[in-house]
Amino acid sequence: MKVICDRSALLDAINTVSGAVAARSPRVQLSCIHLHAAKSGGVGELTLSATDAEIALKLKLSQVDVSEPGDALIPADKLRAIVSAEDQEPTLTIEADDQAAHIRGNDAHFKVFTYAAAEFPPIPDFHDAVAGSAAAPKAKAVFTQSAGTLNTVIARTIFATAKETSRYAINGVLLRREGKKLEMVATDGRRLALCRIALPGPAEKDAKVASCIVPTKALGMFQKLVRDGDEPVHVAVTDNQVLFSFGTDKDPGRAVLVSNLVEGSFPPYDDVIPRDQDKKISFDRDVLASAVRRAALLTNEESRGVRLKFSGKKKQLELSSRAPEMGEAQINVDVANYDGEDIEIGFNPTFITDALKVIPENEVIMELKASNKPGLIKSGTEFMYVVMPVNLQ
Amino acid sequence: MGESPSNPVRIDAVPARRPIRALPELLVNQIAAGEVVERPASVVKELVENSIDAGATRVTIEIEQGGIELIRITDDGTGIPPNELALALAPHATSKIAAASDLDRIATMGFRGEALASIASVSRLSIRSRTRDHSGATEIESEGGRIVGPRPAAGPIGTCVTVRTLFFNTPARRKFLKTVATEQARCADTAKDLALGNPALGVTLKCDGRVVLDLPPGGGPRDRALDILGRELEAELLEVHADQFDDARGLALWGLVGRPSLARATNKSQYVFVNGRPIRDRMIQHAIAESFRGLIEPSRYPTAFLMLDMSPEGVDVNVHPAKAEVRFRDGSMVHGTILGSIKRSLRAADLTPSILPRVEPATPAWGGRAVLPGSPALSPQTPPNAAQRFADYLKQLGAVARGTPGVGELREAREHAASITSAFGQPAQGQTGIDDTAPIGAQAGVFGATTPEGGTFDPPGPGQWNSTTESASSSGIAPTEDPMLLAPPRPATRVLQVHKSYLVSQDEQGMLIVDQHALHERVMFEHLLSRVGAGSLESQHLLVPAIVPATQAQIARLDELKPLLDRIGVDASPIGPTDIGVHAFPTFLFDRGVEPIEFLRDLFERAESQAFMPGSEQALRDVLDMMACKAAVKAGDQLADTHLQALMELREDVERSSNCPHGRPTSIRLTIKELEKLFGRT
Repeated sequence: MKVICDRSALLDAINTVSGAVAARSPRVQLSCIHLHAAKSGGVGELTLSATDAEIALKLKLSQVDVSEPGDALIPADKLRAIVSAEDQEPTLTIEADDQAAHIRGNDAHFKVFTYAAAEFPPIPDFHDAVAGSAAAPKAKAVFTQSAGTLNTVIARTIFATAKETSRYAINGVLLRREGKKLEMVATDGRRLALCRIALPGPAEKDAKVASCIVPTKALGMFQKLVRDGDEPVHVAVTDNQVLFSFGTDKDPGRAVLVSNLVEGSFPPYDDVIPRDQDKKISFDRDVLASAVRRAALLTNEESRGVRLKFSGKKKQLELSSRAPEMGEAQINVDVANYDGEDIEIGFNPTFITDALKVIPENEVIMELKASNKPGLIKSGTEFMYVVMPVNLQ
Repeated sequence: MGESPSNPVRIDAVPARRPIRALPELLVNQIAAGEVVERPASVVKELVENSIDAGATRVTIEIEQGGIELIRITDDGTGIPPNELALALAPHATSKIAAASDLDRIATMGFRGEALASIASVSRLSIRSRTRDHSGATEIESEGGRIVGPRPAAGPIGTCVTVRTLFFNTPARRKFLKTVATEQARCADTAKDLALGNPALGVTLKCDGRVVLDLPPGGGPRDRALDILGRELEAELLEVHADQFDDARGLALWGLVGRPSLARATNKSQYVFVNGRPIRDRMIQHAIAESFRGLIEPSRYPTAFLMLDMSPEGVDVNVHPAKAEVRFRDGSMVHGTILGSIKRSLRAADLTPSILPRVEPATPAWGGRAVLPGSPALSPQTPPNAAQRFADYLKQLGAVARGTPGVGELREAREHAASITSAFGQPAQGQTGIDDTAPIGAQAGVFGATTPEGGTFDPPGPGQWNSTTESASSSGIAPTEDPMLLAPPRPATRVLQVHKSYLVSQDEQGMLIVDQHALHERVMFEHLLSRVGAGSLESQHLLVPAIVPATQAQIARLDELKPLLDRIGVDASPIGPTDIGVHAFPTFLFDRGVEPIEFLRDLFERAESQAFMPGSEQALRDVLDMMACKAAVKAGDQLADTHLQALMELREDVERSSNCPHGRPTSIRLTIKELEKLFGRT
């Protein structure tokens, strides 16, 4: 193959695709980026692909001058270093076969040994997944939503996933489609974030409930692929994979992200969402966030919690913290709308501020029942957050 | 017994009745000898104790063929008058007690009047004795109890007892003796015990004519202990005494305990004396072990030499034939005094081990003159492996960070600091420049030259902290000259992390090498311990219970464990017949990435053992120890600079930080002196 392409667009694409390159793999092909140059209707296209066997990413680069269609498999780190270093060049020429790649600038010529392009594992095709094949049944769920909306749903849940726990199921985010409803849920065992949106268009016929657990890493990569919030993203869920295909009708398949699913069963989250909270307090989001942040200043590793003391009579919330041998903090917040029973409850302040960060609405509602029962934070109609209390001394 | 194999006892056979008879006196004594006189060493013990009771200032012990052929004890005590000499050999004849009430206040080593008679009944024994009032000595002989004499003889004031061919008439017992070398070693051990217990007594031991022990009379317990245990150990021993002698309690304690590095695999290096009598007492052993808890591994035994003096009423020595055990009237007081005194002296000491004593793991047993720094056995031509490796490492190290002195360590280091600071013309407080240390200081001055990186290896004597180029240039403020204005020595220390596992820093004595996991574990353990003292740990409720698979025994034990679990912030209850559900877990373990299921599975397994007493302090410590271990940074964790700093600063705050809760060391030190030795500078 032989292509001439815009250097900075190529570098962007390489940087993005590098996220899927295997860092240390015994299979050297996985540490490479696969290039595929094609010409259709006189327009050249260069597709870059990489996979670490868990996640695969395919990015299409248009406005490329393809003089010779073909494939190449080039070590990612060298390709990236060269394209990055040739920063005086507006364009670069890449000429490659199964032996070597020649990357040429105005005054430079790099020869990088390559691997046989056919040794690169095939990356699942979105349309194949939707339609099904002899090897795999057709997708359990297929839907389309704008990149911006999906990105919001992801941002409102991904923060609550567990980090490096041996309970793999909660290392990912549950994605659940039921009729026109799309739900994403994440938990680390101590709090749970749930975001629920309506999908556009008519409900799929004979749509069954489809759910899967998507690895946190894949969703992180999704967030990096978002260019334009209005760009449609087609989503297909198969038995063992989820596929996201970004692209307008004019530019279909601009980026395709494929990820293996997390196996295992997600905790029965419906049961932990409390439904009989009898104390409801409405806050201005920023006021609550500021109060919690300040109260958290005097916590330490062994005394992490912040105490929230609601007084219906005084119409006040007193937040306090105490770290032995360090000191104490007390913040008072007016809660004019609260006239219920007095209640004292402890929370990990980070858990509260984490949720407040992803709430766009100004008003948040906190619902409580007892000091040893879960607290619930809600905003708008889409977001719900369960947080378990901390026993304070 | 007594039945020959050809005539087996049949169950239905009625043995012929044999008449009850009073045993002949010789047989009675031989039976008694079986209890008191087990082997030559017991003879040495009994006879030397007699000498001590006779007020001797010097005792000479001669043995031949391990004491099997000959034991001769010669003393300069009061002697026995001729008319009492025959009685001395009679059983239950003694000058030491007269009435039963005397048994309550035994102030002599012996008291039963059994020893001489027992020995006489199983050997050929002769006593030659002369008192101050007689111009000549008298001699009496006995062969298996048959007495010859007394008859006049020649000899000095004092008593000489000679025991030949021990057990000549009890072949069974003679057969059970070990080799000559073993019996000789036991006699020597006994002689050492006696010498340790009676520091003022001059003791000479000759084996087959060769002097193996020669200890002068009139010394104190410290000198005597060091004479026998080895002078080289002096630096490794800490002095222990009861806070104040309290007549009301009737107990005085003095002793030496070894630093944790001297701990041994057996308790043979523990010497305990009560009123000069060597004893083995489980309660005292426990007190010693307890005082070292957390400083040494539980399977090892501290080295200890303890002398207790108490009024004879406070201790019953009449419970063991060889008096190797005693019974205390107030055992808990004795336990508490020992525990408290040892702990106090350990706390006052800087226990960071230095490199060189640790490089010879197989130090010979106590009394065998351990090889330690300063001893000629550690020749500079053959540096031990670890030290060599360390020297190699230093070559690659380049600039070494400046160290932080612990305030408490300054006292310990005074001598060395004085030698270094004197070279800078700035003697340490209370010390004047010492001439003969000047060369060391001069060498240190060479080290103090600025390295290319700008780091310096300043020997950090007190008051030296602000004088390095680095701190002066970075702060932009000239170091103040007025010593009154100097900040307390608490500088920012540069700490180097080596292989993501060890931290290297310096203090005023030399280099410190810290095991990051062990230190962090230690620090966490102490924090947790004090935190738990103030109330239960903060605990985070779980959305859905974590399910821990458990055995029936573990589930059955859950109720008993509950108070302990409450304290550490765990809420657990049985869920079904094979699982335990965890509803809440300590926040701090969550933050440290410890998994509830994994942690509690380990905890329940440990709690299953019968030795685990859920209500005990030990159990709490065990559990906190588990928590600290799981939560601490691991070897291989890359630590940010700020973490390194923080960890090293915590090191100084945590009492006993030189060992992790398992008793492994958290840090070791390579002193400047040792470095100089390794580099051949001395």
